[in-house]
Amino acid sequence: MAELATSLRRGTLEFCVLAMVEHEDRYGTEIVRRFGEEPNLAASEGTIYPLLSRLRRVGWLDSKWAESPSGPPRRYYALTSDGRSALTHFRTEWVSFRQTVDRLVGTSEPA
Amino acid sequence: MNTKNTDVVAEYLHEVDVRLAGLPVLQRRELLADLAAHIASERAERNIQTEGELIEVLERLGSPDVVAAAAHEEFGPVTPPPARRQFRGGWLIAAIVGVVLVLLLCASAFFVSSSTESPAQMERAPAPAPSLPVPAAS
Repeated sequence: MAELATSLRRGTLEFCVLAMVEHEDRYGTEIVRRFGEEPNLAASEGTIYPLLSRLRRVGWLDSKWAESPSGPPRRYYALTSDGRSALTHFRTEWVSFRQTVDRLVGTSEPA
Repeated sequence: MNTKNTDVVAEYLHEVDVRLAGLPVLQRRELLADLAAHIASERAERNIQTEGELIEVLERLGSPDVVAAAAHEEFGPVTPPPARRQFRGGWLIAAIVGVVLVLLLCASAFFVSSSTESPAQMERAPAPAPSLPVPAAS
């Protein structure tokens, strides 16, 4: 069952990350803590950082270090325009994907 | 206590680093810096005092094995595609260079042949023209 969760997470988690910085920039620890609160997505917090790194490398996220008022410097992440397009594209794909799976697996909401 | 806490963190980061062997150096450094910044933020923002609390922070991050495995998964398979892309780019460049070379060869062959022929014709033309073409025409 842990493997199933891992498979489901793969390919979707990154878009949850993109959506999290859609409206405002957030720093790493903030993003990671937010995922810690979601049991379905609760990968160990440390596994989010390699994901953030990849999303930055492919140009979907931008990052910059900034001083924090209450502690060590923070690395803030922002959605790039490529990241925004990727998220929009994912939303369309996800809806039709979800509907297809629901129909085939029999998990559709009764109409 | 504080040095002891720092020791736990240093040890944890070292354990992660050891397991990142084989990944590009900049991605290793980046991940270690991110983890260190995370731990520092948690310490400051949650006002962590005891080693027990600090170990909880590290446990939430995940064992060095789990974190390193995620890094290998994210960075490992990502490295081959750029290499393949470069390789394909290499073929494309080679193809373009090849085409350009062939064109240059054709052009130079054409130029050489036309430049060797035309002066010859030009030189010969005035001399044999009166004798040869005249009988041919008549």
